[in-house]
Amino acid sequence: METSAQNIQHTFHNIGSSIDIVIIGVYFIFIMLFGSYFGKYNRSTKDFFFGGRRFTWWLIAFSIVATGVGSHSFIKYSAKGFQYGFSSTMTYINDWFFLPFFLFGWLPIIVYTRIQSIPEYFERRFSPSARFLATILLLLYMIGYIGIGFLTLGKAAMPLLPESFNMLGLTIHPTLMGMIIIIAVITGIYITFGGQTAVIFTDLLQGFVLLFAGFLLFFLGIAYLHPFGGLWHLLPTTWKLPLADFNKPPDFNFVGIFWQDGVAGSVGFLFMNMGLIMRFMATKSVDEGRKAATFNILIMLPLSAIVVGNAGWIGKAISIVQPNIIPPNTSPDQIFDVVAHVVSSPGVFGFIMAALTAALMSTVDTLINATAAIYINDIHRPLKQFFKIKEKTKKDTDKKELRAARYSSAIITGLGVLSVLAFKNFPTVYEAHGYFHSTLTPPLVVAIFLGIFWKRFTPAAVITTFLGGVALMILGAQHPAVLIHPFDHGIAMNPEHPYTYIRALYNLVVLSVVAVVVTYLDGQFTSIVKLIKSKSNHKQIIYSVTALAVILFIMISLNIGSLLLLLIANLILVVLVAIASTYFIEYDPVAQTEGLTVWSINRAKEVFKGRKVNEREGEKVLVDWKLKKGEDGVINFSKKDMEKMAAEPGDLVYISDKRAWLGGLKSIHSVFGEPHDEDGIVYISEEDEKNGIFIKGKKLIAEKEM
Amino acid sequence: MVPITHTWIPLLYLYGVGGIFFLIGMIIIRKSGAINLKLKRHRHWYRVLIFGYFYFLVFHTFFTLLGLYW
Repeated sequence: METSAQNIQHTFHNIGSSIDIVIIGVYFIFIMLFGSYFGKYNRSTKDFFFGGRRFTWWLIAFSIVATGVGSHSFIKYSAKGFQYGFSSTMTYINDWFFLPFFLFGWLPIIVYTRIQSIPEYFERRFSPSARFLATILLLLYMIGYIGIGFLTLGKAAMPLLPESFNMLGLTIHPTLMGMIIIIAVITGIYITFGGQTAVIFTDLLQGFVLLFAGFLLFFLGIAYLHPFGGLWHLLPTTWKLPLADFNKPPDFNFVGIFWQDGVAGSVGFLFMNMGLIMRFMATKSVDEGRKAATFNILIMLPLSAIVVGNAGWIGKAISIVQPNIIPPNTSPDQIFDVVAHVVSSPGVFGFIMAALTAALMSTVDTLINATAAIYINDIHRPLKQFFKIKEKTKKDTDKKELRAARYSSAIITGLGVLSVLAFKNFPTVYEAHGYFHSTLTPPLVVAIFLGIFWKRFTPAAVITTFLGGVALMILGAQHPAVLIHPFDHGIAMNPEHPYTYIRALYNLVVLSVVAVVVTYLDGQFTSIVKLIKSKSNHKQIIYSVTALAVILFIMISLNIGSLLLLLIANLILVVLVAIASTYFIEYDPVAQTEGLTVWSINRAKEVFKGRKVNEREGEKVLVDWKLKKGEDGVINFSKKDMEKMAAEPGDLVYISDKRAWLGGLKSIHSVFGEPHDEDGIVYISEEDEKNGIFIKGKKLIAEKEM
Repeated sequence: MVPITHTWIPLLYLYGVGGIFFLIGMIIIRKSGAINLKLKRHRHWYRVLIFGYFYFLVFHTFFTLLGLYW
């Protein structure tokens, strides 16, 4: 092992052996082949994106582990575990507070309204312009996330490389950015095979492997420390506490992280993470989605907290008893690699690193694909519609969209690499990610949250939040000592990275204030717009208002003028944007809230079903299946079986292979048809048989959905 | 001696301020009719949500005591 001492932090190079490299390579090939096998279960684009809404809760709950854990967690939580102990777990155990909002608000809305992307929700709930701004903010969020993924991958790979090596007579010194660029190219090649079903099964496997690798490392570490008195007794008391100190130090304090992660992050995770939302939408029903989310937060996240943070705790204990093996000043972002290498043998180290990097790479790849989908769905298609561009055939459209998706994926990957520049100077990935969350998450969090739970929230208010509120956020970033200070709860300001976490509170407050005030002043803005519209030169007036708003936004962004002047400019900006939005947007507060807020979920259910919902609670029934001729879109049970299920013709039914361990892979959704008299038999069409991939002689289990 | 700012104050803040968000969520889903307590499975979910809040409260309290005294 080579080590090089820097002024402050001790960094490692060239750890691992050739057997480890071979294991990493074999693991990557295995994962790709595994994913491609499940590609065959996609029979439509609905299957491709949402896995056909067929899976049981446990399968989704385990597949979420890799999504939640895979991206960056091993590196960043091990770093904080090494620096501060068990309090590294606190961000994994603070998501419950927003679960009522998710389980009975957002989840049923996205399922029942069949919304395919978050920007689409903004268009239906507010206006196309709100969708456009939401798309930009979401793209920034996703690209930033990709950047964090690349930064983590780079930091995970660096300790494995030598400090320098010779190639073609040149001495090459690997750098973090150089490593990230190479990883970005490999990520482009590492393609996610076969759509959402493949992603679910690949993630399911990776989830198990990650949990196994994490616990393996934990037990190896405990065994390593046993002769020295054991992990628990070696750690100082403050390292054993589950929550960090209330407001110090600036780089890891409870209150800042509560607002950044517990509030902005939790809402972002549950409401904005398209990858996660698509996973919940792949469950067979809303109730199964609820079970998956609940199990994930109650059981999987606390276990994941141990899995991702334990290398740091073990590293801290080893640094106390064997500072020559792990110096106390080891670079925190390298501690995962270093501990894995110290406590495991060659080969095992390769397996642990393979599990980590493969999960990281598939997460980044999924993010790139999801971002490209947002580009096609929310920018490319609306722009084509706006400019009235139409191809001759559907085939031509598909071909051009596929090409656009490929180009956009390449550009998104490049932008992801560029976004690393904004994060790479933070001392650890944890702080970079904290800054990212507290800056990019709040605008969408406030807009989505108020959109779902406050039916009075208007399009003018959401657009003003996106522009006027974001301008206030920019002012806060430029003048933290004045504007964020009142919210800091006593956290000292680090001039290099001011208020990394607690800025989330300031951002959430200013955005919420703008949103609420503009909504309450809707009547006044409507009166002003009526007055403008009564003038013969109303178009000139409104274009002047818009131009002035643009100038003010640029002035604030470039920090031109004193803080007082900029605050006044921001106030004027808020008023102007609200007036311009009220002028341009046509909004029907009844039609555009129906089924789209928590207050009308039952209506959304009716629209989803196409008729009145049957809420009577019935039982599941076990049946044999027989084929019927023709395709009438319904399946037929006996009268008695339908009574057991409390079902009526026209109700929705879910029917799957009896074998529970398949997790719903062989299943369909259909509609109850007119009953017959053969108890224990269901008649299905050939198309249902194909879609459900049912096997002759295998029993099915049926239940009424609604 | 571990300062209270590292033990009970974060715990109170977490379940106090977090609890306010949780309570608002529970009130909204009930008032809006999104959760219908006349249905057996919704009553079950309502109990699960309340259980989860106390599950994590007990979890953090237990590990704080463990860290301090063991």
